[in-house]
Amino acid sequence: MQPRDAFAGPVRHVYVHVPFCAARCDYCDFYSEVVPLRRAEGGAPEPAKPAASAPLDRFVDAVSTEWELERAAHEVHGVRTLYFGGGTPALLGVGRLERLYQAFAAQLTAHAEVTVETNPDEADEAFAVWAARRDVRISLGVQSFLPRMRAALGRRPAADPSAAVRRLRAAGVRDISVDLIHGIPGQTADDVDHDLVVLADLAPDHVSWYELDVVPGTPLARRHPQVPSDDERAALYRQVVRGLERLGYRWYEVSNFARPGRRARHNVAYWRARPYLGLGPGAVSTVGGRRWRDAADVADYVAALDPSPRDLPSPRDPSSPREPSPPPREVESLGRETLARERLMLAARCGSAVPLADVRPVLDPGAVAPLVAAGLLSLHSGRIRVTRKGRYVGDEVCVRLFRA
Amino acid sequence: MLPFAVAMNDLAHIRNFSIIAHIDHGKSTLADRILEMTGTVAERDMKEQLLDKMELERERGITIKSQAVRIAYTARDGQTYQLNLIDTPGHVDFTYEVSRSLAACEAAVLLVDATQGVEAQTVANAYLAIDNDLEIIPVLNKIDLPAADVAEAELELHELTGASHEEILLVSAKTGEGVVDVLEAVVGRAPAPSGDPAAPARALIFDSEYDQYRGVIAYVRVVDGHFARRQLIRMMGTGQQAEVEELGFFGPDMKPAERLETGEVGYIITGVKDVAHVRVGDTVTDARRPAGEALPGYKVVRPMVFTGLFPTEGDKFEDLRDALEKLKLNDAALSYEPESSSALGFGFRCGFLGLLHMDIVRERLEREHDLELITTLPNVEFHVYLTDGTLQVVRNPAEMPDAGRIERVEEPFVSASVIVPSDYVGAVMELCQGRRAEFVDMKYLSPHRVEMHYRLPLGEIVLDFFDQLKSKTRGYASLDYEFWGYRESDLVKLEIVLAGQPVDALSLIVPRERAHARGRMLVEKLRQKIPRQLFEVPIQAAIGNRVIARETIKAKRKDVLAKCYGGDITRKRKLLEKQKEGKKRMKQLGVVEVPQEAFLAVLELDAGDQSR
Repeated sequence: MQPRDAFAGPVRHVYVHVPFCAARCDYCDFYSEVVPLRRAEGGAPEPAKPAASAPLDRFVDAVSTEWELERAAHEVHGVRTLYFGGGTPALLGVGRLERLYQAFAAQLTAHAEVTVETNPDEADEAFAVWAARRDVRISLGVQSFLPRMRAALGRRPAADPSAAVRRLRAAGVRDISVDLIHGIPGQTADDVDHDLVVLADLAPDHVSWYELDVVPGTPLARRHPQVPSDDERAALYRQVVRGLERLGYRWYEVSNFARPGRRARHNVAYWRARPYLGLGPGAVSTVGGRRWRDAADVADYVAALDPSPRDLPSPRDPSSPREPSPPPREVESLGRETLARERLMLAARCGSAVPLADVRPVLDPGAVAPLVAAGLLSLHSGRIRVTRKGRYVGDEVCVRLFRA
Repeated sequence: MLPFAVAMNDLAHIRNFSIIAHIDHGKSTLADRILEMTGTVAERDMKEQLLDKMELERERGITIKSQAVRIAYTARDGQTYQLNLIDTPGHVDFTYEVSRSLAACEAAVLLVDATQGVEAQTVANAYLAIDNDLEIIPVLNKIDLPAADVAEAELELHELTGASHEEILLVSAKTGEGVVDVLEAVVGRAPAPSGDPAAPARALIFDSEYDQYRGVIAYVRVVDGHFARRQLIRMMGTGQQAEVEELGFFGPDMKPAERLETGEVGYIITGVKDVAHVRVGDTVTDARRPAGEALPGYKVVRPMVFTGLFPTEGDKFEDLRDALEKLKLNDAALSYEPESSSALGFGFRCGFLGLLHMDIVRERLEREHDLELITTLPNVEFHVYLTDGTLQVVRNPAEMPDAGRIERVEEPFVSASVIVPSDYVGAVMELCQGRRAEFVDMKYLSPHRVEMHYRLPLGEIVLDFFDQLKSKTRGYASLDYEFWGYRESDLVKLEIVLAGQPVDALSLIVPRERAHARGRMLVEKLRQKIPRQLFEVPIQAAIGNRVIARETIKAKRKDVLAKCYGGDITRKRKLLEKQKEGKKRMKQLGVVEVPQEAFLAVLELDAGDQSR
């Protein structure tokens, strides 16, 4: 077998970062801008001031332009997965979502997976109908079904997230994923059980259940939250895994669980180190040995891709608009060894097999046997694979496997 | 005042003296003040602890290395004298440095902190001065402090030296009060040097320093005759001959001169690079007109405390050797020999005068030579008599022979003197009982303070006796000790077994009756110090094949970042790479990764231990 390089080959996976939220959550460190909302009685949420909708329109245009530029710059085959993350993509409103969708529609393969992230509050009737019509997979940021837990995370008060799941189902959405968090300050085994019970009732197709990561610099971190101890968090994690498996989900990645055939194919592409394009401010792309991040500033982003003279009159040459160009980017060069380490690190998350030949230069050969003996790693026909037992401690397994 | 220019250099106008004191009694401050008041150091050059050149000395506020400085002092009698002040270390580890310096003097200022009174090293140093036939000038320092108890301290000084009320000077080195009286006493009470200027030249090397450009700088005290530039000299002990390249005195920097006269203190540089050829304690003489007899030298100092020093990174062994070689040039008391440990790889078994000495050497190696070191538990030198009648010297617990081959084991004992306020006599007795100490006697220095004498194993002091003593007496006790002799003890080797493998670097030799308690504490300490691993790690303490204590480090249950999508990959990879880098600071023992602190866990066996 030929050694395979990570992130090599034609691009088939696209991520779009939609950096708008109705409010910032205390634990989140993703890039987003707050767009104040006005909610008409029973209607769709709309930006509070008409002036606020212009940036959203221009953002949609800018993403379409970036997509055009990237398609010209890279070998892009049919798009198998398209992911609108954020931020809160649903905040764009159905009209803009449709426009954004259409920018990619021609390149989508027959059974492409298109995912849109949303919070329960933004998943209103109109959105649900649109999602069903486009056969879009919905990733719903629930975080916890217990209001008390959501409050501990500093989530704005919201209606019962279960209602959003039912609404989406009723509208005909066929693939729903629910995001949850464990390890929340004050969270007990009973609290996790409560979420499991709700899940059993709602039966979403996919669950992403993350341990809370208190990221330095977030409002949550500044509150110095009393998260459960290491041992308690380890126990909650096992409870999550066991509970979801009992409900029929497969534990296919550290924090991801799916009913058969319902894995998040877009995310699986990351873990298999397939090349991907990321569009939008703050989004990351990796193609071959090159990784770049678009500057996390929506104004800069739009200005570069949509240099219309409307708001950027150039005193030197006011008549001719500049050509659209990619936004400011931070570029990282990935050497072969770096790529091999990433390959190993990503594979460890899913327990996928990695041919030794692909990662040999970065592997400490002495580390394999003790890990195999401990049941954390398996070695068959020249391939190593992190076991289920190893997945709980995958970072340490990787660190051990890395050559010094 | 013009230093040196007007100083007479006939014998009658020379005074050589030291300041001796217990640690922290203000010796360096008094020296600073004397240098300042006599104009030896210009005001703009003045800084605290002027004579302590080493960064470490200043930082820790201690003196490690002796210094000599020439001072011109115009006394009340109108005459200008040449005073040679030889600064000495105050800590018990460096007593030998004190004794060497004293041999170059005629007088010693015995400095006592009036807030503390006579302490153990005051007594030890006073006896050293008496043994060297020096005039003792007793001085009470820190009289400006509200806590000073001059009457009580005076009484103790009187008990110790026999000095009368009038003879004891009262000073505040900090404010300068009374410092002139000290200088007057040096001039008035200290005898002038008694050498013969016409006799063949003789000088005592009382210290030396190595300079990488100039070779060995010998600190000398001229006893008879004189030395001059270009003179051919001979070291009487080693036979080494050389020409004097430069000589001079310290003012306090090196100041070259044409001659060093009888009674003077200064330095000689010959260009000899090998310290072994310019031995401290040797006598320098004129090669063409040699003296008949060498001056009495010093007994060779022997290291008492041994420990293994290992570079954390295996390839730094040669660097460590070079660094030790360099330190040894200025530190005759340091010894080292290569050692290999299955756990720690290649390193050196080093010998030190005591724990402070060990600490200083280790810190200098790390700081000045940029090495990262693992230090094993310090231990003493055991004499193991085998059943076949031979003696095996054991400086490393790992080398202890099998119990079956041992007839008996002897360990070094010291005579220790402890000085405490009488309220704490009980506490000291209790501590000593737990430390296998044998009571010798005690006497009252004053109604409130007691000097107690014990004989106890040096191994106990090396462990943590001094810390315990300080904590049980609220810091009031002071300790001094000297080697007494070897004595049989019932000792066993305690081995630590980590995940089934004995770790030589963690084994130790302990009294049999305390082996169980020590074993239990040690495995518990290790359990705390060794982080959870991917595997369960049993830790056992064993004597021979018998396991006497056991703990288990549970396996890590979770260690994985929850989220890793397209935008996270670089950050997460860097995190793992950083963790890998961090592992360099761990020692891999079999499958177990052990942080360096774990090797010091044995040092931290605390108070709870000694009573069990």
